[in-house]
Amino acid sequence: MSTINFANREINFKIVYYGPGLSGKTTNLKWIYSRIPEGRKGEMVSLATEDERTLFFDFLPLDLGEVKGFKTRFHLYTVPGQVFYNASRKLILRGVDGIVFVADSAPNRLRANAESMRNMRENLAEYGLKVEDIPVVLQVNKRDLPDALPVEMIQAVVDPEGRFPVFEAVATEGKGVFETLKEVSRQVLARVGST
Amino acid sequence: MVEPTLVLYGALYQRAMDILQDTLQETGARYALLIDRKGFVLAHKEALWAPKPPPLDSLATLVAGNAAATQALAKLLGEARFQEVVHQGEHMGLYVDEAGEAALLVLVFDENAPLGKIKLHGKRAAETLARLAEEALANPPKLNLDTQYREEAKALLDELFGN
Ligand SMILES: Nc1nc2c(ncn2[C@@H]2O[C@H](COP(=O)(O)OP(=O)(O)OP(=O)(O)O)[C@@H](O)[C@H]2O)c(=O)[nH]1
Ligand SMILES: [Mg+2]
Repeated sequence: MSTINFANREINFKIVYYGPGLSGKTTNLKWIYSRIPEGRKGEMVSLATEDERTLFFDFLPLDLGEVKGFKTRFHLYTVPGQVFYNASRKLILRGVDGIVFVADSAPNRLRANAESMRNMRENLAEYGLKVEDIPVVLQVNKRDLPDALPVEMIQAVVDPEGRFPVFEAVATEGKGVFETLKEVSRQVLARVGST
Repeated sequence: MVEPTLVLYGALYQRAMDILQDTLQETGARYALLIDRKGFVLAHKEALWAPKPPPLDSLATLVAGNAAATQALAKLLGEARFQEVVHQGEHMGLYVDEAGEAALLVLVFDENAPLGKIKLHGKRAAETLARLAEEALANPPKLNLDTQYREEAKALLDELFGN
């Protein structure tokens, strides 16, 4: 649930980038950070290992502007994708309003995509949440790989029912990055006041 | 929804601000914040004499992450919770205490603030704020944001994230 601060007339949303290790979650946030003008973003915080793998989370606050007198902000987070960081991954999901699931197009990561989605369902369940309760957008990243799997194949393992909107991306070049963010934001905003 | 949304407004917000203000005066701390467990700032006060604070968003996020990790550690060891946390550097220190289930009190202090006072008044403030947070959770305000809010927000999305 979004956090509303009536006194400061603020509405804050939490969006989490989930997905297997090395799928490009941090790369998405870096791209967003590099393109959003000063004054509309805060500091990006990255808790990473020396080799740039996310250890706890990345964090980037964005300022959408004022809507009907409410300052509206998005807090973007990434989780650590590596399997053994599950304890921290779970913590980041707390209070999530929307999720971007970043899948990897590499053939040898197909299974990792599926396992990460299953892990996400399990972790959400610990907060009493179902995937169906939250806006989720599927980003199929690394479309530039020469041996990239067909999107349908990836979709078939992470979202066989075709429930989530899908965006193809090359996060290193920024392709599909803002399209994905915009869709999840749109869905999150659409739920304001309707609960 | 499992995660309760802690909303402070009106009289409760004012009381929270008063408590933070009193705590600053009693302890000599620089900044006092009440944040929720997700890392959002609910209320904050700065001492008049204090320099510009670091980015509060980052501060709140890191404190909440840290607190969540600490709580998970306590559980692993079979404890319901760990006591308040104090981090102290050469010049600056940080005091973090649970203000009930849903919020955290954060005090940022420098070498001129006696640690004993920080801990004593920090603990008291955290207890008062915990009751206040409980009251706020029990009486969630109705949010009257209509379709117009959504329309306007969408227009801003186009502006910031592109078409
Ligand atoms: N070819 C290609 N490489 C990419 C793309 N996006 C990210 N990468 C690379 O993949 C590697 C991992 O990217 P990260 O963004 O750090 O991955 P992550 O999902 O944050 O990984 P964890 O933090 O371990 O969960 C980096 O070397 C990126 O440059 C892409 O679209 N195409
Ligand atoms: Mg990462």
